[in-house]
Amino acid sequence: MEQWLDFAKGPLFTFAFLFMILGLFRHVVLQIYYLIVRKGKRLRNAPWKKIILDTLSWVVPVKHFIPGTAFFSSASFLSHIGVILVPVFLADHIVLWEGFLGLNLPSISSGFADVLTLFTIVCLIILFCCRLFVGRQRAMSGTMDYLILIMVFLPFASGFLASHPKMNPFSWDMMMLTHILSAEVLFIMIPFTKLAHIVLFFFDRISGLHWQLRPGAGDKVADALFGKEARV
Amino acid sequence: MDEVVEVLKPIVDEDNGNKTYPYYIENPVTENRVERFLEAFAAVLHFTDYKPLLDSYCTSNAKCNRCAVTCPVYLATGDPKDIPCYRTNLLLDVYKRYFTFSGWLNSRFSNGIDLTEEIIDEMLNLFYRCTACRRCTQECPMGVDHGLMTRLGRYVLSLIGIVPKALQVATREQLEGETRNTSKIPKIALMNTLEFLSDEIEESFGIRMDVPVDEYDREYVFFCAVSDYLMEPETLMGNAVVLYAAGDWDKWTIGGNDFDGINYGLFYSDWHLENIIKQLVHEVTRLGGKKILIGECGHASRSAHDFVPVFAGKETYPVLNFMEYTLDCIEKGKIKLNPNIITERVTYHDPCNISRSGWIVEQPRKIIRSFIKDFVEMEPHGKNNYCCGGGGGLVSVDEIYDFRMNIGGKMKADQIRETGAQIVISPCANCKKQLKELVEFYELPCKVMGLHDLILKAIEIPGAKSAEERKEEAAMFEM
Ligand code: SF4
Ligand code: SF4
Repeated sequence: MEQWLDFAKGPLFTFAFLFMILGLFRHVVLQIYYLIVRKGKRLRNAPWKKIILDTLSWVVPVKHFIPGTAFFSSASFLSHIGVILVPVFLADHIVLWEGFLGLNLPSISSGFADVLTLFTIVCLIILFCCRLFVGRQRAMSGTMDYLILIMVFLPFASGFLASHPKMNPFSWDMMMLTHILSAEVLFIMIPFTKLAHIVLFFFDRISGLHWQLRPGAGDKVADALFGKEARV
Repeated sequence: MDEVVEVLKPIVDEDNGNKTYPYYIENPVTENRVERFLEAFAAVLHFTDYKPLLDSYCTSNAKCNRCAVTCPVYLATGDPKDIPCYRTNLLLDVYKRYFTFSGWLNSRFSNGIDLTEEIIDEMLNLFYRCTACRRCTQECPMGVDHGLMTRLGRYVLSLIGIVPKALQVATREQLEGETRNTSKIPKIALMNTLEFLSDEIEESFGIRMDVPVDEYDREYVFFCAVSDYLMEPETLMGNAVVLYAAGDWDKWTIGGNDFDGINYGLFYSDWHLENIIKQLVHEVTRLGGKKILIGECGHASRSAHDFVPVFAGKETYPVLNFMEYTLDCIEKGKIKLNPNIITERVTYHDPCNISRSGWIVEQPRKIIRSFIKDFVEMEPHGKNNYCCGGGGGLVSVDEIYDFRMNIGGKMKADQIRETGAQIVISPCANCKKQLKELVEFYELPCKVMGLHDLILKAIEIPGAKSAEERKEEAAMFEM
């Protein structure tokens, strides 16, 4: 077990983490490349102010509190707090970051981390139930949508149990291994799934740029499909 | 409700099982639609730059359903197929499956979604069940622009010949026809109409204003939705008297070769959008105009305002909506409106294209408040307004009347009823037509008018008959 744990903490972690970073990096590079190469000067005409204000309005989305999805959306927003804070600033993780990246981050107290973790778990359960029981949500949800919730849930639940031996019905090693492995699977999933919104969020809200259509493109499409004939 | 939801489904001929389309199509395509669709999609992806956006949407779509509760169509039907995200995903799934590596890989290992004739049927239905009002986009945490996606879906469909005949015939006449406008109005008929408008103005104001056509080097070249010349004379007269009263009569002109601001390309095709814009810009250049002044029309204003800079290259001109011009005149004290003429309760409908997707929310309200006492807002309004239900070109497609009334416009009708207004101002040719039909359909006790229709009644021009006198005369005439 010991060796397994070491392996999961060591090479496997390095691999999964780098995989995630590179995967996300690839998204960013491609997006920026396309924008600069293909849009070029037209970017200047875009409604930048609108785009930036709009993106910012979603950081704390109070103004986007709308009836009909209030419950789901609140749970979704609130779960983000824990999902961002706990993995990065938990004292036990700080040690990890220090060893791995050489970063010296401030940590949050373990009491606060516990509260956040439980809170996040509750939010995730709410999200899961909404998907399952609200008709219109269920209609839109695919396997991946449920799976992702479970995959986020696992490291939180196992981490919590591992750090509270009294509540843990299994062995510590077992829990820790589940915690680390599930987190690593999650890392690997991130670039391929909607979790990539970690970075793509900033490229989704820019449809204002994409309305800056490419001059002459319509002609080329028509030429390619119908030759030079009439096309109206 | 079920019956209603069926409105846009393809109609199957019971005798031979052939499907017909939910809207009229010039040459209905029946064969090889899947291959042709993919071919067209590939060409579009190759030459345009939608790709990064599609990549981004495909990956990060949260399926959170917030868009559903903001879409008037879904709210009216409750059909999961009307959820904006569902419709957009039809296109995204095709993109993912056929144009991305992971989609291809996926298809090797699982029997993922392949494009089928049924999916094409679904697309051609659903893409014309969305009014491209972009209300949902505001509330999507991932910013998925369903208006843009609907438009892209329609564009690809149009390339395989699937496009409502009403739109196609109109743009063809505009780009290749003799009259160069969507309503097929020849120049001579335009001149007659303008003559008639001048006579009308003379009769009620006692002043003659001959509308300038094809005058060179004027500051403003005026374009409205060409249908206004047939259907909205009062709006046009309102525009004219404002220009006259402001002392700008010799600063504007109508172009004789192209006087149509309509641009259906905004709703379904990059090619049409670009070429109609270019045609408009050429007319301004021919006349040596300095600015483009667009009458009361939402999509004409947005397409000119947003796409003249994109497509016109160096020939670009500033674009102004007429309400901006009028507000400026009021603020500078160039025109006077009598606040005692309009006594009815008035509400204002925000056309999506200039409010949510544009820059005009406060301007008309300032104008209204300056001379109308009983003004009530609909809830929600401004950038959160509900579409009239005829947006995205749907209003021009007569055969989907049932959809527009029962589904698309349902929320709007409820909103209007709640205000208790007697007059609904709607500064857009498309919205006006749809709202007039809605008012009739739901028997709402109100009239639909343009903002300048009311200004025409309330304006005071020195040396002309006063607004009070005109009101009395009109009342006598009605009796
Ligand atoms: S609001 Fe956006 S992310 Fe949510 S379901 Fe709709 S399109 Fe998808
Ligand atoms: S653009 Fe308007 S009609 Fe279309 S899906 Fe969004 S809210 Fe509904």
